[in-house]
Amino acid sequence: MTTGVRRRMWTVLPLCAAGAVAAIVIAPTVGSTSISLTRAFDTSIPWADNVDAQIFFVARLPRVLAAAVVGATLAASGVVLQALLRNPLATPFTLGVSAGAALGAMIVIAAGLDVGALGVSTVPMASFAGSMGATAIVYWLARSQRRGLSTNVLLLAGVTLNAFFSALIMFVQYLADFTQSFRTLRWLMGDLDVGSYGPLVAAAPFVLLSFAVFAVLPRTLNLLTLGSDVAAARGVDVARAERLAFVSASLATGAAVSLAGPIGFIGIVVPHLVRLLVGADHRVVLPASAFFGAAFLIGCDLVSRTALAPLELPVGIVTAMIGGPFFLWQLVRHS
Amino acid sequence: MLCATDLSFAYDARQPVLAGVSLEVRAGALVGVLGPNGSGKTTLLRLLAGIRRPTSGTVTLDGRPLHAYSRRALAARMAVVPQETHLAFDYSVMEMVLMGRHPHLGVFEVEGPADLAVARDALAATSVAHLENRDFATLSGGEKQRVVIAAALAQATDVLLLDEPTSSLDLGAQLDIAQLLVDLNTTRGVTVVVSTHDLALASGICRELVLLRQGRVQAAGATAEVLTADQVRALYDVDADVHVHPVTGHLSVVPLRRAAR
Amino acid sequence: MRQPRPSRRLVVAGLLACLAGTAVAGWSQPVATSGGGGAQSAPRRIISLVPALTEMLFAIGAGPQVAAVSSYDTYPAEAATRPRVGALLDPDVERVLSLTPDLVAIYGSQSDLRRQLERAAIPVYEYRHAALPDILLTIRDLGRVTGHAAGAEAVAAGIERDLAAVRARVGTRAPLRTLLVFGREPNALRNIYASGGLGFLHDMLVAAGGVNVFADLKQQSVQATTELLLARAPDVILEVREGPAYSSAQVRQAVADWSRLASVPAVKNGRVHVVSGAGLVVPGPRVAGAVARLARALHPGAFTP
Repeated sequence: MTTGVRRRMWTVLPLCAAGAVAAIVIAPTVGSTSISLTRAFDTSIPWADNVDAQIFFVARLPRVLAAAVVGATLAASGVVLQALLRNPLATPFTLGVSAGAALGAMIVIAAGLDVGALGVSTVPMASFAGSMGATAIVYWLARSQRRGLSTNVLLLAGVTLNAFFSALIMFVQYLADFTQSFRTLRWLMGDLDVGSYGPLVAAAPFVLLSFAVFAVLPRTLNLLTLGSDVAAARGVDVARAERLAFVSASLATGAAVSLAGPIGFIGIVVPHLVRLLVGADHRVVLPASAFFGAAFLIGCDLVSRTALAPLELPVGIVTAMIGGPFFLWQLVRHS
Repeated sequence: MLCATDLSFAYDARQPVLAGVSLEVRAGALVGVLGPNGSGKTTLLRLLAGIRRPTSGTVTLDGRPLHAYSRRALAARMAVVPQETHLAFDYSVMEMVLMGRHPHLGVFEVEGPADLAVARDALAATSVAHLENRDFATLSGGEKQRVVIAAALAQATDVLLLDEPTSSLDLGAQLDIAQLLVDLNTTRGVTVVVSTHDLALASGICRELVLLRQGRVQAAGATAEVLTADQVRALYDVDADVHVHPVTGHLSVVPLRRAAR
Repeated sequence: MRQPRPSRRLVVAGLLACLAGTAVAGWSQPVATSGGGGAQSAPRRIISLVPALTEMLFAIGAGPQVAAVSSYDTYPAEAATRPRVGALLDPDVERVLSLTPDLVAIYGSQSDLRRQLERAAIPVYEYRHAALPDILLTIRDLGRVTGHAAGAEAVAAGIERDLAAVRARVGTRAPLRTLLVFGREPNALRNIYASGGLGFLHDMLVAAGGVNVFADLKQQSVQATTELLLARAPDVILEVREGPAYSSAQVRQAVADWSRLASVPAVKNGRVHVVSGAGLVVPGPRVAGAVARLARALHPGAFTP
């Protein structure tokens, strides 16, 4: 007889994966402009003349893939951080990663700097650097405790850094030219229009590395959530597990935010929904959240690029408009 | 079997929590670590379980120092039941108990039928088999504690260390846990170390006691020899009457008044 | 004991002073805001918080009366010598008041500042940023308010003449569907902001002989996504970069950024142009020059002698 988790892994996970794949396949066929799919895939038409193909392969497909990557990453990072901090209200942005990314992006946008290198353009480069800087600071602060990472200090350090960086961000915006100020604000609302595969390729190593670490964490995460004493008594190297969880989640979040800006609510709505459906075992929750997050963000992006066609609604607004009421509803249900 | 020699521990250099603590736990023993709040009982248990390393001194299991064992190997020999379990997420009872199988599973291994059998057996031993599919969060305090003990049992260890297992339970639940520990010790041969400040539990089930006061061992030995009115006064600053209870046959400690200074 | 009594002379002097005070106050009645009746005397200490208005003031000959300018004023060079009093978001009210102006030009949205100035009985000139024809109206209006009507007329007429000259050159050319980009991320095609069908950038484009690909989108700025750009397929892409002029290497880089959108006619036919420099997006006296530069980029053939 199989245990419940095995059964769930074999039914839920393939379903979620299929959902994500379906979203990736269907989403590029829908958009604000009507295109002919036969023309898009007609290889006899020269590339420079095939507008349908360009819209499909240059405008939409990279965008859908970016949504899949960012959605999966933010959802999975959310799960890992919630386990690490033993708090289902933690988000990938709780520990300051996105504030660091935002500061990096703001500075280069406001100052009009150009620090692109190795095929990575300026703003993603600066925001990734900012996110890693914030991660390093939080890690260093939390590590001063002898006993590995203290999650209390981690949380305090992250929240403090968020507040401090937010103040710096406001300062940068204040100093900035008016038009640049608006562009920095716009970046904060999220933008999946990557327009080419370059940014995806640049983000890939970090995302893949993080997911490789995520793959070995789930059972350990289960135990961590019981408390560090119990986890240690069951053979978990708590300090090492917490370090791995923190660094991999921060790396993944930094890469995702550099790709598309800080898109909120995915890291908290998706894990929450998934837990409601499949229980709390991280061996199911983590992969299911990744697939569900991908499909969810692809869906939100679809709304963002069709709701006000031909104009666009920033995707962060769409996720907030779905996420906010969802949480209010949850709050009312449980009170 | 489990031996502590001259243990000292301090979370920060100015305030040592334990100093010069030595004790020995023989296989099959049922030992109580008795002391008031703040005497260092929880820390001592952590050191014995190998969760923390002492500032000085050693803990050995079967003659080998704890740090010579791998974490998994140690987890396969000793299980810990913490004082309270606060869950941030809604695990079911079965999930909780199966998590005790961690030290016996490979990194990507998922629990199999054998693990399920062990878990069911542990649930039966703690009389909570009927709660298998319930959410842990919905259980009463006594039921929760029994599930946590079942999880520790599922870990299939020789030694069980419990930190104040009855302090937040009502009278009936306290009796149940006490009886459970005695059963585990006598019928399954589990070595049990219980830390408590509850004199009734200590005198009721522990055959040996270690009296811990302000991080030092005040006395250690067979319960009948160690649990005297003088020792109680020294430990708790309370005058008490200690006598053998006519019904239970165990020592009974009745507090009378605060000790005169 | 004798009490000192206020001398009668002091009392009379005090009354006279009060009368004189009311007379003086009566002379500096607040000048009506733009659109009101004529001033009783031309203002002699003007403060401008709006760079476009500063340029206009200097152009029409009111430079000597300008006492202070905004933080962003750099043109003409003379304006840079004046003290600075903040701008749209951070006007330095204390500084403004301490300079005792008799006319302050502010943005229409700066209602707090306006209230404070009215309380101090300082006349206010409100500026609302709009379309190209408004520039000429504002120049003439400023001339009336500052007593430089002749100078203003000369400037406005000059602009009209120059715009007409451009129209003459490009009017007969076939209209080109143009994308006018005024901002995007450096070396990436992200966060692209282009002119919509409203506003003075749009008007400049039309005056330069172009047809805005976003003419149907009735807003001043449009964030252009990749899909939208490919769908609208502009014939020409004009990137306007306000600030220091671009080197040829920078221009090449900026143009190369667009090569990804291979099906766009502007990219296919090499009609992606960068127009860089100062004074390109200021709705002031330099607008005709800006329009001429845009026209040259759009219709180079119309400008060869």
